[in-house]
Amino acid sequence: MSLPLPPASTLHSILLVTKSRSLGPRLVFHYPPLSPSATALAADQAPAWFGYGTSTGSLDGSHDDSSDWDSSTDNDDDIEVGSRTSGGKGSGRTSYRDKDKHSRPGVGIWGRQESIDEEDVEEHVEGKSDKEGKGQGGDYDWNTVLGFKIDALEKLLCPSKAFNKRRFELGVEGIVFVGAPMFVRDDGFWKKPRRRKDRPKEKADESVANNNIQDSDGDGSGIPSTEASFVYPEGFEPGYGHGLMSGAVSEAGSDTRSNSTTGNVPDMTMFNIVFVLNPPALEYQLRVKEMYDNVTRKFAKVLKYEQARYHYVWSESKRIIDIKQRAKEMGESLSVTWQQIVNTSPLAKWIAILFDAIASNKIAHIHFDRSFSTSFQIPQADSTPYLPNALEPQMPGLWLTTSNVVTEDDDGTPLTQHSALLLLEDAETLIKDLESDSRGSTAPLAFYIRNIVPTKSLQKISIKHNILAQDMEYVASHLVFWRRARLIPPLHPRDTYIVSPNADMSALHAAIPAYAARFPTLPSLPKILSLLSGTPKPYRFFIPTNEHRERYMEILAWLMRGGWVTQLRTFAWVRPNDAGSTSSNRTTIPLHRPSSPSPLPQGKPHHRPSPLHLKPSEEATRSPLSPTHNVFSPALPSPPPHTTTHAGFAPSIVLSPQKANALESRWLEKIGATFEDSEVRDFWPKLLRHLDGKHAVEDVGAQEGVKRGVVWRVWGAVREGGWLVVVRHW
Amino acid sequence: MPTRSIKAIFFTRFHHEKGSRVLHQVPEGSITPSSSPSALSNPLLPFSSITSYLIPTQQFCDRLLTFCVNHYRVIGYPVCIREGRYSRNEFRFNFAVVVEEGVADWACYGEVVRKLGGLLRGLEEQGGFLSREEEGIWEDDAEGLEGGVLVGDVGSKVYALCEVVLEDLNNYAECMIPIDESNTINLKLFPTHAPPPPIHPHHVPLLTISLSSLTTPLSSDLTLTRIVPFINGIHSVSHISLLADTDLSLTRKAVQHLVYYGCVVLLDIFSFSAIYAPTAEIGGFITDVRAQEECARYVRVPRMLDRRQVKMGSESEKSRDRSSHSSHTSRDSEPDVEHERKHSDAPSISTASISSVSEHAGQEHRKSATEVDMEQGKISPETLIMLYTSLRQGLHLRSWVLENLAQLNGIDIRRLITFGVIKGFLYRVHKYAVSPSVVNPLATMTSTTPTRPSDQVTLRGAPPTTAMAPRLSHKPSIASTAVTMPKAEEVARLESIASEDREALPLVRFLDGVHSFDEICTELRMSEKDVEAKVRGAGEVQLLFR
Repeated sequence: MSLPLPPASTLHSILLVTKSRSLGPRLVFHYPPLSPSATALAADQAPAWFGYGTSTGSLDGSHDDSSDWDSSTDNDDDIEVGSRTSGGKGSGRTSYRDKDKHSRPGVGIWGRQESIDEEDVEEHVEGKSDKEGKGQGGDYDWNTVLGFKIDALEKLLCPSKAFNKRRFELGVEGIVFVGAPMFVRDDGFWKKPRRRKDRPKEKADESVANNNIQDSDGDGSGIPSTEASFVYPEGFEPGYGHGLMSGAVSEAGSDTRSNSTTGNVPDMTMFNIVFVLNPPALEYQLRVKEMYDNVTRKFAKVLKYEQARYHYVWSESKRIIDIKQRAKEMGESLSVTWQQIVNTSPLAKWIAILFDAIASNKIAHIHFDRSFSTSFQIPQADSTPYLPNALEPQMPGLWLTTSNVVTEDDDGTPLTQHSALLLLEDAETLIKDLESDSRGSTAPLAFYIRNIVPTKSLQKISIKHNILAQDMEYVASHLVFWRRARLIPPLHPRDTYIVSPNADMSALHAAIPAYAARFPTLPSLPKILSLLSGTPKPYRFFIPTNEHRERYMEILAWLMRGGWVTQLRTFAWVRPNDAGSTSSNRTTIPLHRPSSPSPLPQGKPHHRPSPLHLKPSEEATRSPLSPTHNVFSPALPSPPPHTTTHAGFAPSIVLSPQKANALESRWLEKIGATFEDSEVRDFWPKLLRHLDGKHAVEDVGAQEGVKRGVVWRVWGAVREGGWLVVVRHW
Repeated sequence: MPTRSIKAIFFTRFHHEKGSRVLHQVPEGSITPSSSPSALSNPLLPFSSITSYLIPTQQFCDRLLTFCVNHYRVIGYPVCIREGRYSRNEFRFNFAVVVEEGVADWACYGEVVRKLGGLLRGLEEQGGFLSREEEGIWEDDAEGLEGGVLVGDVGSKVYALCEVVLEDLNNYAECMIPIDESNTINLKLFPTHAPPPPIHPHHVPLLTISLSSLTTPLSSDLTLTRIVPFINGIHSVSHISLLADTDLSLTRKAVQHLVYYGCVVLLDIFSFSAIYAPTAEIGGFITDVRAQEECARYVRVPRMLDRRQVKMGSESEKSRDRSSHSSHTSRDSEPDVEHERKHSDAPSISTASISSVSEHAGQEHRKSATEVDMEQGKISPETLIMLYTSLRQGLHLRSWVLENLAQLNGIDIRRLITFGVIKGFLYRVHKYAVSPSVVNPLATMTSTTPTRPSDQVTLRGAPPTTAMAPRLSHKPSIASTAVTMPKAEEVARLESIASEDREALPLVRFLDGVHSFDEICTELRMSEKDVEAKVRGAGEVQLLFR
């Protein structure tokens, strides 16, 4: 079980490189217009990347890091102040933060970017000032990108054909160029011509293309299926400046054209969309893979599809090159020119959108044309079962739970059906967003979304509203994947919730007024959190009256959404322990010698068994000591719990009831037989399945299709018998 | 440690007429086909398609250049020496290492390659180390050896270098190669460590290795040498700096160094008023017999420390001074860690408190239990599991000890808890205080800026810019609270309510829910009780546990 790393794309720049017969290798476009300077990258980077500060010193790494350790770094500042006031000498003191800043001359540019990441709201404001700030420096430097001479860089980024459709990964010191080069086929086409014989091939080609694209990004919703739906994207002028495009009015035209006029010798032979990253050394493999798999490759495929359809990439490239050439001659500044390019060329705009979103770890929605839009993102973890310690990267606010952990031995039923969907935005906001995003009809989707409540499982919702289970599941997985929702165990007043140890306390500032605006008449956020952070109790104990119930459940959903609380779940194992049973050899070591008439623990005045307190140990103390117990001297390691070669059966914990060995099964049967209540006895085998410490008892009801009351009754009885090791965590 | 990750090492030279050519490769045939009998049958890489990365343009020389091809990662450091004595005035080469693409920590190979590149450059510039060997090489293969590989260049020093570096780094992760009387190449693979987290004064470092057993001096860092004796898993960083009489920030830095090298883990301040609860990792402990044994060994009190036990006990190995010492500490009847940790050292602290606590409990039972415990000398895994699983949110350690007195015999409570924290299956539930008046003024400012502008103006002295507000609210640091403590009357109120003395103000800034009580106590050098009393005095303050 490992901690998910905080999202950090470490993306610096996106480059589009083409190789054509007429122009050779050419860096067509890069975004943002002004990338970190050569000094910042080369001089500053090298020691930091491999050296002591690994990621702290690297350009983007540092900014991500500072947010990773956010709360702690901030505390750091406090401490500095504190120690000053408390008499600590300020002389030799360098806060980690300061050190960082001093060692990074390039921080001026990228330091600004930091705030963008931290505060989404600010983005526009900041983004502008960002641009202006950069405008002072190399804004007229047309010859370098990322501190490299463009002519050298573009050659380097045009790999040989061996790299076709492969991952192109080139590291220069600490930065890495990740690309997905696409080459034209030897026959001059950009896609495999199928059914060449069928001359009226428009449709065929179109569908092939559709298939391709569908395969490539699994989101085929907006793809044109017929010729009729073809509309030129905004700003797209067919035939702009080049003969190739003149034929593009008819779809097949481009193909035919390239066949006849240029005779299978298209001008552009390759394009490579290159993402420039700067990952910390230890995260290198992960970050590069994430970027390539989720963004680079997919985007390149889409571009290739566009290129195959209308030679789009090349015509746009020529347009961009033209604008750049003119601007360069006019002596204009980069940022102004880039503005112009982004406004005129859709291709440039896509790249800009992609960069802005991905660099700030968000989702990029790109409308490729009227009928085809898709989204790109690097998926992020939405929960973790693992609470980081002080030495590990922190991700405050990440939902802490085991409910999303997939255990390998889950039985067929998909977990999704029993889960509820917690929308991360309000339903109406979400619907509005979706409407603006997609061009198709959103009515059905809106219907689903409006009916989603976090207190009911998807199964129940679909039954209630007559929605097909698959549809529901599809919508759910879609929303989850695009970070609009999370799958949670249905919220229930009888379940217990605690303040999550991973809650982001630094967000409290912002959360309190947001909460107050939403729940004005109810107890304040600190109050509620305070209630929930005491001794764990079922949530219903905090609900004053029945009328409040709904509002309080809303509060709970709100808290859940922000990662403030998490469900405290119950896990258990079976522990056979009874004396006078199949086994006489015992390793359970009683605390009291039978000979001495010691009072038993329950007789103690201070001994108050807690609800979680396990009784078995008391029973164990009553049984006579086995003479063989000396075998297990402390020096000897005790045998593993499943060894059957062992002389006698030591009643140790049954780790997995479903994989119980012979002796364990006998124990389990025997335990089942001890229950007097028939309901308990009947349900025991079903309950047993969940007593492996991996499945929460809270989930049993839904999965076995029984009422939760029944489960808890049985549970109570079994626990009463002292057969269980019980532990509660998230 | 040796992983045999290096698959090949090769030396490429660029000839102004004949282009790039692999002059040496280990193993033979790994890059370009070779006719040597021991050569690999198939090259690992398609050499022809990667030459532009091995010998790039001037721009990219003297930089670490890596690229992936064919599921291998080639790490090279192209060097270009410009000098008149070479044809075309330049001498270009690349000494590159091939590892598998998936090698996670390839950065250390990058460092080795970088160093080698620099060294070879120096050697070449000094005495033509590389060019000397090349006499005749470029002519004799004019007939066209496939790919231009030289066979049987056994006498070549560069070839030997390739060979030794490959073997030694793969086997020993380091190597030392004498080049001539004045030059030696020393290489070592240093694993990359994660950047250390910031160290706070309330962190409690615990050594994971015994630094005192090291024969060589630990470090020339004076702070480090001074603080190491005080690192014991009990003292907080700020306490250590007091004990060792070192500067706090230097102490923090020194601890950070120890953390970086993995010599130290960070714990919280142990106290009986603290709360601990199991994490999801607890399942791992319950099912792992070995961890349970380790725990039993770790938490067991080696001998009963009470005088009475000494009297009745038959253990002869019991050391006198030890038991007397602990019986002395056991008179400090308060289980107050702040107090205790000034007097006692690691093992005795919690046992002292156990014995003191258990004095209230039945004497008789105690005896018998210890007796049993002594005979068995072992803590059963069931006991451990029971103890750990009975910890929970909302339950102070103090009460938990009382609830489980019987089971805790012979167990060092501090170690029991620490073990869980170290292994990650317990977590400390920290206490925070939130005062709505500290959090809110700022918050309301951000949310309702337009409605109450007058407030803002008077308080900040300048109209708040909308751009600034959210940013400030985002940073919970003292800096922001100090700046944005806008409501003078709020502050005044808090000050007056909080207390008469002047400590109110420093306290107020901790009440934003970001600072745990550990932190507040360490900062203010007050006991938790006092802090809590003050906090409660500060008006409507909510205590959170997280």
